[in-house]
Amino acid sequence: MNQIKENVREEEAKKLLNEINESGDLNIVDEMIKNNQIEFEINDKKYRVRLLNLKEKIDLDILRRKKFGQLIQDKDILLEKDLIKVYKERGINIEEIDDKMSKIKAEVNDKQILLGESIAKNDGETILKTYSDQIKNLNDELNILFLQKTTLLEFSLENQLLNYIAQIITFLSTDVMNEEGYYRRMWKTVEEFIDSSENDLINKAGSASMILQYSI
Amino acid sequence: MDIYGNIRKLAKSVKSQNLFQAVKEINGLRLFDNESNLSKIQQIYLSYLYFYDTINRDIVIDKISKRVFESELYEDSYMLYKKEKGFDKKEKDSKKHDVKLVMSNKINFPSSEDK
Repeated sequence: MNQIKENVREEEAKKLLNEINESGDLNIVDEMIKNNQIEFEINDKKYRVRLLNLKEKIDLDILRRKKFGQLIQDKDILLEKDLIKVYKERGINIEEIDDKMSKIKAEVNDKQILLGESIAKNDGETILKTYSDQIKNLNDELNILFLQKTTLLEFSLENQLLNYIAQIITFLSTDVMNEEGYYRRMWKTVEEFIDSSENDLINKAGSASMILQYSI
Repeated sequence: MDIYGNIRKLAKSVKSQNLFQAVKEINGLRLFDNESNLSKIQQIYLSYLYFYDTINRDIVIDKISKRVFESELYEDSYMLYKKEKGFDKKEKDSKKHDVKLVMSNKINFPSSEDK
């Protein structure tokens, strides 16, 4: 009996902890949405990722065009459409993957409309569960195909350019708080950023900057 | 932390929905520090505010039960069904028939004799 009570108490504690964590996360997101800044700490140092200003967007555009110029001249780097042709010659058909994905997406769309209709009509639990399971299975299939395609095209020129842009946005939008309590740019030059060994910071700042930026 | 999941949860919360209603009604009240140049997360948040506002309205007028909130898949599916089947359009069309304008050349103004 005592063991059961102990288990129930433990379950309640876990639930409460989850709720506290969840509300903490929501508060962080709430702040982030209000002021377009994501602040975090690594080894007692405060960092901030913010939206790019106009000057930084211009800098980013210059660097992006420069990188594109370099990549397009490199014969070892193929455009996505050329890479798709090479794969086809080797028996891997990316167009087929695309077709399968389109068909599954259409099927998911149809099932969702049926599920929506069932919800609106207040149908029984069994019908809702059947549609929900079907949609979940289709989405799992879709995710596998998407992952396949993404892996195959990882080294295309377009993807390399996108990766580079993500790195430059991270470089431009990350600030560190100095001893006087003011935020200053973390890295002064692209070279300093590329040479940096602070992987934790780069990963965290990278994902934060991608969440914030929407148009470059 | 699942940022997108949390943006959705935040937009669905009673606090955010109340603030959203207030912003729509009270001039000068703002959701964000910036007035323009919305970031990606702000755009996503705003679209979810409208999304949950629509569902809440449908619940109030008994178009749908609160059961829709049982899962995000239910919410998405219901909104997709609503959009695809266009039952808002049907509703608007039927409302159009409520007011009938009768065209006529003869307009009877009250004459001085009627007074």
